[in-house]
Amino acid sequence: MSISPVLQVEDLRIDFQNDAQSLPVLRGLSYSLPAGKVLAVVGESGSGKTVHALSLLRLLPAAGRISGGKILYKGKDLLTLSGKELRQVRGQKIAMIFQDPAASLNPVLTIGDQLCETLQAHRKLTKEQARKEAVKLLEKVGIADAEKRIAEYPFQFSGGMCQRVMIAMALALSPDILIADEPTTALDVTIQAQIIRLIKELQQREKMAVIFITHNLALASQVADEVLVLYGGMCMEQAPAKELFSQPKHPYTQGLLASLASLKTRSERLPAIAGQPPLPGEIMIGCPFVPRCPHAKEKCRQSLPSLTKRGEHAVRCFREDKP
Amino acid sequence: MTACVEIKNLYKTYHRRKWLFGAGEAVEVLKDVTLSLPENRVLGLVGESGCGKSTLCKVLLGIEKPTSGTVVVQGQDVPQATKAQLKKMRRVMQVIYQDPYGSLDPRMTVRQLLSEPLDIHKLYLNKNERNKFLEELVQSVGLSPEHLNRYPHEFSGGQRQRISIARALALDPRVLVADEPVSALDISVQAQILNLLRDIKRTRKLTILFVTHDFAVARFLCDDIAVMYQGRIMEKAPAEQLLAHPQHPYTQTLLSAVPEVGKSLASEPEEKAIGSSAGMGCPFAPRCAKATDVCRQQIPTLLETSPGHWCACACLTQGEKNDLKS
Ligand SMILES: Nc1ncnc2c1ncn2[C@@H]1O[C@H](COP(=O)(O)OP(=O)(O)OP(=O)(O)O)[C@@H](O)[C@H]1O
Ligand SMILES: Nc1ncnc2c1ncn2[C@@H]1O[C@H](COP(=O)(O)OP(=O)(O)O)[C@@H](O)[C@H]1O
Ligand code: SF4
Ligand code: SF4
Ligand SMILES: [Mg+2]
Ligand SMILES: [Mg+2]
Repeated sequence: MSISPVLQVEDLRIDFQNDAQSLPVLRGLSYSLPAGKVLAVVGESGSGKTVHALSLLRLLPAAGRISGGKILYKGKDLLTLSGKELRQVRGQKIAMIFQDPAASLNPVLTIGDQLCETLQAHRKLTKEQARKEAVKLLEKVGIADAEKRIAEYPFQFSGGMCQRVMIAMALALSPDILIADEPTTALDVTIQAQIIRLIKELQQREKMAVIFITHNLALASQVADEVLVLYGGMCMEQAPAKELFSQPKHPYTQGLLASLASLKTRSERLPAIAGQPPLPGEIMIGCPFVPRCPHAKEKCRQSLPSLTKRGEHAVRCFREDKP
Repeated sequence: MTACVEIKNLYKTYHRRKWLFGAGEAVEVLKDVTLSLPENRVLGLVGESGCGKSTLCKVLLGIEKPTSGTVVVQGQDVPQATKAQLKKMRRVMQVIYQDPYGSLDPRMTVRQLLSEPLDIHKLYLNKNERNKFLEELVQSVGLSPEHLNRYPHEFSGGQRQRISIARALALDPRVLVADEPVSALDISVQAQILNLLRDIKRTRKLTILFVTHDFAVARFLCDDIAVMYQGRIMEKAPAEQLLAHPQHPYTQTLLSAVPEVGKSLASEPEEKAIGSSAGMGCPFAPRCAKATDVCRQQIPTLLETSPGHWCACACLTQGEKNDLKS
């Protein structure tokens, strides 16, 4: 892609300290995010999606540690920034929204107070200016009657409206990157569609890059320009969304897509993937998908395939190495 | 088709306090729910979170008492049942919950977990027979006999859900209530459990109430689908019929918003802002593009619009069927 990347992640490694052991949960992740594009990070529970997102803002819980790699924001390594420099990036340049919107809002402050607080923390605004700005933001995310509703408390807002408020807060400082960690998992499909439309619209209008984390393949296919499939803390496949969904190459991606129940046809049996996803930090020498892969060979057990790129499509599987 | 479960005009009101010291506020969670489950069929109950699906399950199981209305399962009136009758009911009707973590006692081995219902009902008391039965039971849900001596924490989410299913099947029930049994599972494991439920339904000739918020999952497993909104049944029909020809504006809105690979993002529906009150009439009126004054004044009744297809919408019953089937 010709657009210069706003974020570049290089061989990012994260370990979690558990009792006496150190468990690798992200085992070398690399990607680059062009300005104004949407990258979907897809994976099952425990695959490392959230941990990866938190590490971008250096917000890992105490047990977690970045044990290697680089996170370059416009060429500057976030891992070497001082606390003060980091706070400027956080929120202003890179903002994040979470799965449970209601839990991320303070229940005893009005929506307006919370928005103004965020605005005033980063910008020199009077109380009145901040309030006006807050109303504008709420209108931007599609909350009707913003002037009046700004004085209400989170419990007076529905789940979808709370997520809109979270998006408004994230947008308050016009970030370059929005990280959205399963922003619609707690919402119903109709509200989900509204929120996705909103994120897409803002991304296009504000030329913002988005990292969209989800376990929902169908949703990823609808929002993303590029999709990255995580499994056992590693990228298994990455490609432009259209290509990934029309020609998935990794056996895991193929298996997942095949196993989804369809709205259009009724099948007799779902072609399920056997077995379970790997446990956190499970030590694997070979390909992490070996125990479940219908194509696994001895070689797959003995060594880890590398991520091989052909054109814009990267796959981590020995089957792809053959010409 | 004989009805195995008969739910009639069911209402359930909870009294909820808004503030710690506030006065109780009555919340009507189920409103005039009428459903019947014919034997050996799977009824899918679909609706957004908080619409009352789990509450309906609890009333059906006798865990919660309805405010009014009747629930009859294989001839037994559930809300009126005595403790002893409810205990007997457990042999007829069992449940699987969403959370495979919370629903199994972590201090018990799989053998103990599966033996408990058998002990309560004094079944398979002979040791050899018991062992043989348990081994066959775990195998029928895709686990192996070695698993009997392990504890729940040693299993993955999907395996734990298999244990819950085995526990529900231990008493060889006729009716299974499954409240979102795959929602908490990993995506790559959901298909395994859905296949298992389908096999069980066939081999054991079960009648299942299957709660889900996923229409694709409902299509795979269910013979009939009922759509619930704010505690009311909006539409009910054979699964294929409902998905191919949804009649209710709410069902249509929901279906068009379901994301699917290869389908582009649903365009803005002609839906109005959420939050305004429905007043006296149709609960969907504040969001419905087809709402008229009639809708706001009177609650539409659930009527059979074509054989087996039930719908609660004023438009349909006024003979304007055709312009809804877009
Ligand atoms: N505070 C913590 N302490 C120890 N291990 C952790 C902690 N947080 C996460 N992990 C481990 O890191 C791994 C990745 O977790 P992460 O939260 O990124 O998963 P995820 O892909 O976001 O999953 P989900 O879909 O469930 O949100 C998991 O195996 C998890 O057990
Ligand atoms: N014990 C209770 N006390 C008060 N309100 C309840 C109780 N249980 C459920 N509710 C309310 O009833 C409604 C329906 O809940 P539920 O049946 O759990 O929905 P669903 O399973 O469809 O998500 C919700 O508004 C919920 O908050
Ligand atoms: S490397 Fe081997 S085990 Fe891994 S996905 Fe490819 S074929 Fe399967
Ligand atoms: S009764 Fe009226 S408001 Fe309700 S769904 Fe039908 S058309 Fe819409
Ligand atoms: Mg997560
Ligand atoms: Mg529920």
